[in-house]
Amino acid sequence: MKRTDDIIDSLVKDLKPVAPRTLERRLALDLVVTLAVSLLLMLTILGLRVDMNEALMLPVFWIKSAYNALLAVVALLAVYHLARPDGSEGRFFVLIAVIFLAMAVAAAIQLMMSPGETYRVLILGSSALHCPFLIFAFALPVLAGNILWLRRAAPTDLRLTGLIAGIAAGAAGAWVYSWFCTENGMPFVLIWYSLGILMTGLIGALIGPRLLRW
Amino acid sequence: MTIAHSEEALKTLMLLSLDGDEAAYRRLLNALRVLLVGYYSRRMSAATRADMEDLVQETLLALHSRRATYDRNRPFTSWFFSIARYKLIDHHRGRGGRMMAEVELGEDFESGFSEDAVTARMDVERLLDSLPAKQQEIIRQVKLEGQSVADTASRTGQSESAVKVGIHRGLKALAEKLRGET
Repeated sequence: MKRTDDIIDSLVKDLKPVAPRTLERRLALDLVVTLAVSLLLMLTILGLRVDMNEALMLPVFWIKSAYNALLAVVALLAVYHLARPDGSEGRFFVLIAVIFLAMAVAAAIQLMMSPGETYRVLILGSSALHCPFLIFAFALPVLAGNILWLRRAAPTDLRLTGLIAGIAAGAAGAWVYSWFCTENGMPFVLIWYSLGILMTGLIGALIGPRLLRW
Repeated sequence: MTIAHSEEALKTLMLLSLDGDEAAYRRLLNALRVLLVGYYSRRMSAATRADMEDLVQETLLALHSRRATYDRNRPFTSWFFSIARYKLIDHHRGRGGRMMAEVELGEDFESGFSEDAVTARMDVERLLDSLPAKQQEIIRQVKLEGQSVADTASRTGQSESAVKVGIHRGLKALAEKLRGET
C-alpha cells in the first residue's frame, strides 16, 4: 500500500491551476455541441415540419416549444447543482410539477373549446405510438453529453442525478423533435411528450449509479 | 499539531491551491488528512479501521480530481466533508453493503453530519491543541473516537488510572479555558 505522504507528494506535484467557472464552461460547451448534433440529426433524418410557416403563427406550436424548453432548463439547473458533492436538487420536483400542471390546464382548455369529434386527433394525433421513441432518440446525444460532463464532476446521489440528467436530455430531445412534429393537440403533448421525457429520465436513473460513480 | 483547522483557514488554502499554489496545497492536504482520520475513525467500527488509511487516501485523491467542482463562493468544509461522506458510503457499498453500514448511515450520518457538527468538531480540535500532547492523545482516543480506557492505556503505555486522571485533568483544563473565554 502506498503511504499517504507519498500520495500527498504526488498530488502536490500534479497540481495545476483551475480557472474559475471551469465546470460551467464545460457544461455550456457540452450542451451547445450535443444540442447541435441532435438538431442536425433531426433536420437530416426528418426535416422541419411540413407546415412550418403556418405553424409559426400558431400559439400551440409555441406552447409546445415552451413546455419542453422550460422542463429542460429547470432540469439542467438541478443537474448543475447536483454535480457538486454538497449540492441538492433544490425545488426541482415542485417546479416540474407546476410546469406539468400548467400544461394540463392548457390541454383542458383546448379540449373544452373543441368539439367532441376532434378529441381523438387532439389526444392521439397520428403519431402517438412513435412520438415518445423519437423523442428518446433525439435525447440520446444530449444524454450522452450530460453523462460525460457529470463523470468529470462529483455528484453524490447518483440515481437522482441520473434521473434528472435524463429528464433534462429528454426535454431537450422533445424540444428538438417539436420542430418536426405536426401535432397541434395540447393533450397530445401533455401525454406523449411527457412520456418520452419520462422514459429518458428512467434510463438516466438506471445508468446513473453505474456510470456516474467516482 | 499547529495547523489551524478553521473554515476560513482551510478555505483560504483551498483558494490558493486552485490558483496553483503548491505550498498551500500541501498544507491543505496535510490538515485535511488529520481531519479525515478523526472523521472516519468515529464512523467506522474497529473491524474496518484497517481500511481507514485507504479511505483517507482515496478521499484526498477525490478532492484532487474533483477540485473543479468546488464553488469558490461556498463553504469549503461542507464541500469537502460531502466528498468524505460519499467515499465512506461508497466504501461500504463496495464491500457488499453490510448491515453495519446501513445502521451507521441511518443513525449517525444525517443527524451527526452538518456544517455545525464539523465546525464544532474543529472547535474541539482547536481547544485540544492547547493541551499537552499526551493529554490530547488520550482525550481524542477515549472521548472522540470512543475507544476504551483499557485499549488506550495499553496503546500509550500508561496505566488505566493514569489515563483516567489524564483525561480528567485535560477536560478540567478545557472547561476552565472555556469559562475564561466567555
